[in-house]
Amino acid sequence: MASLELKHVTKRYKGRAVLDDLTLSVSDGETIVLFGPSGAGKTVLLRLIAGVVEPDEGNVLIGGEDVTDVDAEERGIGMAFQNFALFPHMSAFDNIATPLQAKRASPGAIKAGVESVAKLLKISHVLTHRPRALSNGQKQRTALARALAGSPPVLLLDDPLRNVDAKLRFEMRLELPRLLDDQGATVVYVTQDYKEAMALGDRIAVMSQGRIRQLGTPEQIYLDPADIEIARLFGDPTINLLDVKPAKDARGVYVGLSNVQVHLAGPFEQAIGRDCVIGLRPEALTFVRADAPAAIPVTVEAETPLNEKTVTLVRTVRGREILVSRPAGTPGPVAGNAHIAVNPKSALLFDRASGARIGASKVVALKSGAAA
Amino acid sequence: MEHTSVLERVLRGAALTLVVIFFMFPLFWIFLMSFQTNETILRIPPSLVFTPTLENYQALITGKLQTAAGSLDIAFMRNLWNSVFLSVTSVAVSLLLGVPAAYAFARHKFRGSEDIAFTLLSFRFAPPLLVLLPLTIYFQQLGLANTYFGLIWVYQLICLPLILWIVRGYFEDIPADIEYAYRIGGHSWFATFRKIALPLAGPGIAAAGLLAFIFAWNNFVFALVLASADKQPVTVGALAFVTASGIQYGQIAAAIVLSITPTLALALYAQRYLVEGLSLGAVKG
Amino acid sequence: MTTVLAIENVDKFYGPVNHGVHAVKDLSMQIAKGEIVALLGSSGCGKTSTLRMVAGFEEVSRGTIAIAGKPAHMLPPVKRNVAMAFEGYSLYPPLTVRENIAFALKAARLPKATVDQKVAEIAKLLEIEDILERYPSSISGGQQQRASLGRALIRDANLHLLDEPMGQLEPQLRAVLRGRIKHFIKERGLTAILVTHDQTEANALADRIAVMEGGVLQQFDTPQKIKERPANLFTGTFVGEPPMNVFEAFVSGEADRIKLKLPDGLALDYEQGNFAQGVRDALLKRQRVVIGIRPYAVRRAKDGVPATVSANQWLGDQTHIAADFAGGSLVLVEHDRTRLERGETIGIRIDPQNLHVFDAGSGAAISHGPELA
Repeated sequence: MASLELKHVTKRYKGRAVLDDLTLSVSDGETIVLFGPSGAGKTVLLRLIAGVVEPDEGNVLIGGEDVTDVDAEERGIGMAFQNFALFPHMSAFDNIATPLQAKRASPGAIKAGVESVAKLLKISHVLTHRPRALSNGQKQRTALARALAGSPPVLLLDDPLRNVDAKLRFEMRLELPRLLDDQGATVVYVTQDYKEAMALGDRIAVMSQGRIRQLGTPEQIYLDPADIEIARLFGDPTINLLDVKPAKDARGVYVGLSNVQVHLAGPFEQAIGRDCVIGLRPEALTFVRADAPAAIPVTVEAETPLNEKTVTLVRTVRGREILVSRPAGTPGPVAGNAHIAVNPKSALLFDRASGARIGASKVVALKSGAAA
Repeated sequence: MEHTSVLERVLRGAALTLVVIFFMFPLFWIFLMSFQTNETILRIPPSLVFTPTLENYQALITGKLQTAAGSLDIAFMRNLWNSVFLSVTSVAVSLLLGVPAAYAFARHKFRGSEDIAFTLLSFRFAPPLLVLLPLTIYFQQLGLANTYFGLIWVYQLICLPLILWIVRGYFEDIPADIEYAYRIGGHSWFATFRKIALPLAGPGIAAAGLLAFIFAWNNFVFALVLASADKQPVTVGALAFVTASGIQYGQIAAAIVLSITPTLALALYAQRYLVEGLSLGAVKG
Repeated sequence: MTTVLAIENVDKFYGPVNHGVHAVKDLSMQIAKGEIVALLGSSGCGKTSTLRMVAGFEEVSRGTIAIAGKPAHMLPPVKRNVAMAFEGYSLYPPLTVRENIAFALKAARLPKATVDQKVAEIAKLLEIEDILERYPSSISGGQQQRASLGRALIRDANLHLLDEPMGQLEPQLRAVLRGRIKHFIKERGLTAILVTHDQTEANALADRIAVMEGGVLQQFDTPQKIKERPANLFTGTFVGEPPMNVFEAFVSGEADRIKLKLPDGLALDYEQGNFAQGVRDALLKRQRVVIGIRPYAVRRAKDGVPATVSANQWLGDQTHIAADFAGGSLVLVEHDRTRLERGETIGIRIDPQNLHVFDAGSGAAISHGPELA
């Protein structure tokens, strides 16, 4: 088992830095998720750890040892690819066996090793098949099995669930943490799906333009995003963003939303009078009666159910669109006019020019969720 | 909506038949000629009705050519053997050199790699006649003229660029991830080349080899200038049929039939691999 | 309600009738004016063939299709007055986004001012105002898809056919665009059919969903009905995210109770009074059934059937919990953050009103909650 460290890694293609002085350390047995839009440099970073891409600057350390100049085949890494990258001319068994063969294991040991990892991934019945004869789900499991087969101390997973259907993806998402924990490997997992990132990561590194923009637990990233972009990347539906200019009265800092003064809870003093953007997650908004305090009048445009939620698109009197979500089955507004209220604790404030967050951590405020 | 009426199908069939007849007729006619004597061939008007004879083939195989002016020795079977030997060896050497080179050009972008690859291709651009004269002089000085070794060397001008460029394309079509996966699994680059890249590009290598073989087989100019009678391939050897007493059409036809048979057989045999090559797309699934 | 589209006993064969690939089997459905209908299914289920037959790109092998009351299955596409957004976008490459969107309107010789105004409106809706003068090759996949949607929605047609209309949309825009498009279609009283493999999209937009599998229409109903009263095991497990939990169970009746015995010696025990007489009879006359329970309907209770937590994933607004239960895996969804560790034992309670029972052989639904299916 091994920790993983990247020190000031830079990689340029045609003069453009796809990784820009990036430093990251992953502790032994941790699962870290690299999350970000395509082109953020996630895949290059993964390949750099694997040793198939060389950094222009910086060092890669595995288990404290500098492996920057060590060839890929000697780093002891397992990797699963987005497109599976199975060997088309070999059976599933032979595919999975390749890392064991490289270790010159005996035929008996190879057979035992392949069969045990195949059982773990529920593909024992298709081991004789060529990749062409496998379903997408089976291909993906075979690719994972191959990555796990050599019991590598470091496991790199490049968006392994990207090319399987929603149901399988969901199933694997719930199955993977146990699998990875049992391996005890240090895992770097790349994804573009924020749900996968939150579900699987001990920590998430949000990347864009070759840099890590924020590094933290799923809780920190979701509740305490560093800037507007990160807030927009997490959450479905996306966070509502409205231009505001906070002001202050006797009751504290407030913002005007459709001529209604909405008081915010939080140290937002420094935002007073500045051009800001308020971020309101759809689940932080609720439909209320017209006479409720700080009720914002809106018209209901459309209701679009989403998984176990109902998402409502409403329009304020000033024409701004807001998405409100509530658990499915709970009473909603009647079509036409309605009122919404903001949970003052969950509002996020951003500087409009820079996009940076204003105010303190939200993690404490929301830890009061139902405990088991 | 797709409607195919009977008329449309009939017309399409007729058109296809016409095209086939148009392109196949010369071959067909040569095939018939090979079973006729010079006299029946030169009849006017030509006729499809004749008494077939194996005379022409007999002459080629025994090496005794009967002409109006008497018997003449020809080395057709020797020429045929030369063709086989030169083509097979040239292609083998080209594959040995070209496939690893193609892999290097496909996978490793080193400084000047594009330029080198292009230079190699440019051998195909130069008119052979242009290089022939200096080449002949060098070869004579080096003692390479009229040797198999020299000919095979020169044949690399034909085979190597072809194999290099076709096989390179096939290597490039293999997703790099597949090779990365094998290397990360703990295998050296050479094992990856042998166990992954070679088998996956196999159909492409076969196709390139076949094409190079056909080009080598059909070569005329290099062999004409650089080889004398005992090293000549069939393409050059066929000149022997233009004798003092006229052109031996029957024997030429038989010689053509015999000399295209190996390439034709090879092409038909290799077709399977070529088709398999197309299904390489399944790799990306 | 006027019927805009009537599909009657339609079959589609690829290859010779009765011998070729039977892509759509005896399909009948009627769609009323102003409805949004989703054809939902996995690839190869016949949904795209159906859409293409309605549009006129595929011949109908058997049966009839009527659009706006007139037989249409023999008409060429151009005479059917349908607008379509294609999955592959099919934007005209030499035209700008604006020209693409305005194409049909210009062909109909509408005055320029009207065209401009309509394009501006649709462009604002789809957030493509700033790329109107660009060419399709220079914009992203998501933008192309929005342009393609705009080209279809701007038309005044009997039917709007949308093939996987939102698959490539930027995730951050999806929710708001769904709302806007639904509002747009409803406000103008358009009739739309969308083909999708994504149930989220179908649920969000459609008034009714037609679930297809193997060329057969499995169920055609409102999203709510499909969720609450799935017609069979296929629909039950296909629609719903996360998917419905299913377990095989053996039914036994003892005194005034009904027991559903699960693997690993577990059992769900209900009072017979929880179920209508018909359900009781239907259950007791069978030995083996398949029970289904939606992830959000699973409750935790101290005295419940024991299960061991295998994953607990918080997604910001929901918590997905997986637990080893009855030889399989049970998934629970809770709307709050739940603090449970792996390996912890929880009690599972499945209330009778949330229980779906299916026939073990045919997969047909037997009961939903206390009622017969």
